[in-house]
Amino acid sequence: MKPLDLGAEPDDGSGTLAELLDRICARYGLDYIAYAGINTVDDSIHGVVNYPDAWKSHYVEQGYQLIDPTLIAASRSVGLVEWGRLRDFDSFRRVFRDAAEFGISTTGLTIPVRGPFGDKGMFSVVSSHTEEEWQRLRREFLSALQTEATLFHDRVMREGRSMKIMLQPTLSEREREILQWIAAGKSQFDVGVILSISTRTVEVHLRSAREKLGAMTTPQAVARAIGMRLIYPI
Amino acid sequence: MILIVDAHNRHHHHSVLDEMFQLRARVFGDRLGWDVRIEDGREIDEFDALDPAYVIGLDDAFNVVACVRALQTTGPHMLADVFADILQGEAPLRSATLWESTRFCVDTERLAMVGRGPGSVSRATCELMVGSLEYARSNGITDIITVIDPVMNRVLKRSDNAPYDYVGATVQMGETKAMAALLDCTEERIARVRAFAGIEGPVFVDEGAMMAARLRQAAHGDSLTDYLIDQIDAATNPDELEAALALVDAVLGPQRGATGEAQHSEHTPDFVR
Repeated sequence: MKPLDLGAEPDDGSGTLAELLDRICARYGLDYIAYAGINTVDDSIHGVVNYPDAWKSHYVEQGYQLIDPTLIAASRSVGLVEWGRLRDFDSFRRVFRDAAEFGISTTGLTIPVRGPFGDKGMFSVVSSHTEEEWQRLRREFLSALQTEATLFHDRVMREGRSMKIMLQPTLSEREREILQWIAAGKSQFDVGVILSISTRTVEVHLRSAREKLGAMTTPQAVARAIGMRLIYPI
Repeated sequence: MILIVDAHNRHHHHSVLDEMFQLRARVFGDRLGWDVRIEDGREIDEFDALDPAYVIGLDDAFNVVACVRALQTTGPHMLADVFADILQGEAPLRSATLWESTRFCVDTERLAMVGRGPGSVSRATCELMVGSLEYARSNGITDIITVIDPVMNRVLKRSDNAPYDYVGATVQMGETKAMAALLDCTEERIARVRAFAGIEGPVFVDEGAMMAARLRQAAHGDSLTDYLIDQIDAATNPDELEAALALVDAVLGPQRGATGEAQHSEHTPDFVR
């Protein structure tokens, strides 16, 4: 199946999805991001990359999406796929020898994302930092990149009409009451005291609520929850 | 020692997985009396078909003594789909940095119930926890939600590894109860469990050495098997290891159990850890 390039599609805000990848790259000091998603509900494959156009067209012309070991590995993986572990494979050498000629680094990793309906996303990040610097960045940003990958995947999947309805966020009572207290101006610590739960419990529910609402920040999540009438404006 | 098995290396570990499914049948079917489906002495459910990651504890002779299964909470997982009772009808947590762990079990028949030294239930449990937490942490995962029974809950509390909270309610499941506990994957927690059990150094097993050792145990000491083991030992890159293992399969027959494992044995590339 030929992948559908969604790079020029608008994101939620002002720019395109490819520009959104540019912003994520800038935030974490990355060179490029390549996203590939499989929507099992309407049976489509999506791609969004911010690679240079020359490499992008060469990649698709050669049909590398069919042999790219980073994609094949990530599509069935729970853990992330470190490219360092793939370097000795023939398929990796073939794809990445070419990549190097286009000035693309072979340092990176692919984060697999699984959605609730069997949909899958592969979020590859490329860096040209030294190995040492890369390991440091990786440690520092891995959790944040996991979240970015899931948010990006959910955003692309929501574009499908059938998914739009199914991906309506469902908050638990706990998530809802925590958001409600945050909307009332309470800190995470306060909310923990009010509900007699640990701050870490507040945090884990809040993080889940943010991601269900497709929000990067808590204020954004509160705004969306009010907009969707999941909590009351105070 | 801890071995991680997922979609990319499971075709090398059929016999390990087969032992694991048998352990799960003994624990969840026979001992805990959970409503699980057991066929031919193995407990396998629909989530095992979703390419989960297994964290497997092995003793010094490379026998399976503990295991747990990890799935992302962003995708299909047990709390979302079958443990609805525990959540009391509430929506499950869904987060990129939260993994669900299920089918957490330890072989209490093979291991000593007392003490916390090597070969004890306590040690195997702690090592499995350390392996799970470190594996999750290396993936940027910050928290684990785990479905456990009250006995495992007490074991966690006793080993300085108490859950920081629970989600939903404790509900009857077969002859025992089940609950969903939250654990943070912080360095502090890992250090506490390591200190409690006296675990020092890496817990993860050398995969190549382990496979050669298990093959040696199963072999009859003939020169053909020795030759095959030499080929595994001599492999210097993943492609060579793959070729050596393919040779083992071709000569000795696939090293798999009678559990329908064959359907997973297609040659996906091996991503050696």
